[in-house]
Amino acid sequence: MTAEPSETHSNSPPGKAPLYEASTQFKSWRYSPKRLRHVRQTLNAAAVAAIRKTLEADEPGSSTSVSFLQPDDELLLVKLYTTKIPQLCGHFRFPEEVEATAISYLKRFYLKNTVMDWHPKNVMLTALFLATKTTNNPISLDSYTSNIPKTSQSDVLDLEFLVAQSLNFEFAVWHAHRALWGLWLDLQSLPDVTESLRPLEVYETALKHVRVSRFTDAELIYAPSQIALAALSLVSPFLCQKWLDSKMPSDPIAAESHRQILEQTNSEIENMIMQHGQPPDVEAAREVDRRLKLCKNPEKVVGSKAYLTRRAEEERRAEEKRNKKAQDIRKTSEGEDPFGSQLAGSQESQSVDDDDDD
Amino acid sequence: MDAVERANAEKQKRWVKDQKVGEGTYAVVYRGREAATGRRVAIKKIKIGQFKDGLDMSAIREVKYLRELHHQNVIGLLDVFSSKTNLNLVLEFLDSDLEMIIKDRSLVFLPADIKSWMAMTIRGLEFCHRNFILHRDLKPNNLLVASDGQLKIADFGLARDFADPGYKMTSQVITRWYRPPELLFGCRYYSSAVDIWSVGCIFAELMLRTPYLPGETDMDQLRTIFRALGTPTEEEWPGYTKLPDYIPVGQFPKTPLRDLFTAASGDALNLLSRCLIYEPRRRITAIEALHHPYFTGLPYPTHPSKLPRPASRASRPLEEVDGNVDMVDSGPGVKAVASNRLKRKLSSPMDGVRPLARRLDFTQHKGS
Repeated sequence: MTAEPSETHSNSPPGKAPLYEASTQFKSWRYSPKRLRHVRQTLNAAAVAAIRKTLEADEPGSSTSVSFLQPDDELLLVKLYTTKIPQLCGHFRFPEEVEATAISYLKRFYLKNTVMDWHPKNVMLTALFLATKTTNNPISLDSYTSNIPKTSQSDVLDLEFLVAQSLNFEFAVWHAHRALWGLWLDLQSLPDVTESLRPLEVYETALKHVRVSRFTDAELIYAPSQIALAALSLVSPFLCQKWLDSKMPSDPIAAESHRQILEQTNSEIENMIMQHGQPPDVEAAREVDRRLKLCKNPEKVVGSKAYLTRRAEEERRAEEKRNKKAQDIRKTSEGEDPFGSQLAGSQESQSVDDDDDD
Repeated sequence: MDAVERANAEKQKRWVKDQKVGEGTYAVVYRGREAATGRRVAIKKIKIGQFKDGLDMSAIREVKYLRELHHQNVIGLLDVFSSKTNLNLVLEFLDSDLEMIIKDRSLVFLPADIKSWMAMTIRGLEFCHRNFILHRDLKPNNLLVASDGQLKIADFGLARDFADPGYKMTSQVITRWYRPPELLFGCRYYSSAVDIWSVGCIFAELMLRTPYLPGETDMDQLRTIFRALGTPTEEEWPGYTKLPDYIPVGQFPKTPLRDLFTAASGDALNLLSRCLIYEPRRRITAIEALHHPYFTGLPYPTHPSKLPRPASRASRPLEEVDGNVDMVDSGPGVKAVASNRLKRKLSSPMDGVRPLARRLDFTQHKGS
């Protein structure tokens, strides 16, 4: 399962694919570890090249002294802001689903964008605000921003579109904590797993592992149910076995091969949780942030020369479009009844102006 | 330009808006096409700039669910892209809706036709429920019909995931005539049974050719329901008098459905009655409904392509624009003239106008 996730590993008969496999999460947001590394490297390299070019255009030779962020630096900073989400959610008393969804959004965002273009602080705030809405727990922007120090409404709203776009408008996220709850319900219905064999602490500790897994890449590589099973196995290999026994096919050879695969993924996920789940070293993250100030994309720094140039170009293009639109309208409205002859369908064949000034 | 922006710009280029077919406070609907293939689509442009809280909930719900749901009987969301401060949903183009068809007096429905529409509705709904999604606004006007006759559930602006047990939901959902009694009594814990009640009302409307339970207010809605189906007894619906907004609306006797639905088959009436059971937990589920003898018995459902279709578009009269729909304006140049104060009619022929947003209720086809 660690190799490239394939569309074919499902053993389900055709037409009976699990619901999860019809999800956008399954289709768009699963990576192999190798692929994940590649995506991050590519994004990072492209950003460095673009920023270098902008810097050079501004002042030749100025980019040589800049220490650009490496993919690992970016990851570290994103991770730091990922760990801020549970803090904020605790403050607002948002349900777990909001927290988990916001974290997924933040991670997914940085598989399409780089830290050097968009600082994770505001992206995190936006991702969380968006998650409150997509999980049906909306709060007003006003009460959201007024409860977060030094945050204006535009810090949140300005990026909302960009975040939604980066997510490809795929808002639904399947979570490991839900899967864990499902496992727990399953265990309660197993006849030979008596109540004393499944103390609630097992579930609670496993849930903690699931929460820790959110600070890792696990959800980008594995299915929520795999993460949940690994979290359970970390706490109680016995209950994990019991659950597996209840799900295994009767054919012993097939069962053995399933079991081997699952044990393999379990240990991989367990390693991720144990080794990569710790909060990042704040000092190291701060150092990255310091370097980021010097290497972030000047086109996105309000007031910089590159920013102004880009803005001027955008404005020029918009102006051109507006003029054209106005001209078109003048053309069509000339000599027309002010009450419009459109009723006769005279504009039928005319294409609608695609401009969005309204 | 960023990769994300570039991808968005490419998507934007893929679709061409041809004609504005309606405008509401929150959205504009265009008829459009795919640039490369000419395939017809509907493009719903949602104006985000107006919302102080950013992307609004109904747009988010619609996008969230339609992104996940792919089924023959659920409207297809082909693409989503943004332009400045607008969100654009590219949807399957669908000619008509069940409300138009029901109201078109020139059409004659055979029992097999009704069965076909019902089968497609319940199939689409079963798929939603299987995915743990409540629609919460089923009505004929949200059941769109494609040119090949396929019926598709649309408008997921009120949809939500099934809630966990014990989680409160709002009871202010579903258009009144199709709203089940538990919601009218303010029930905050409910499930897929609310959609099934709506399906029952739609089924009845298909047979009667007029809304079955048209209440004028929420109170009157309850009275209308009880007048039609009898006031529920404690045995029929245990505990309903303890619901938050319970209010006695009078005692009405039970009359057999047969009295009103004189031409319906026994199977049809049985299915109808099981959709309209008061106690939500006893109401038939979508999957059970699909296995109901009504669908396997004679006559077999009409093939979608053979279903009655509304009269040709050209002959359809222009409609007076509903109050919540603004005028189609051709841009800033003529805006001053074509203001709302001039009670103009919708400036384009109503061909292919689809009710894509809840607020875009411009298909008030008053018995043509």
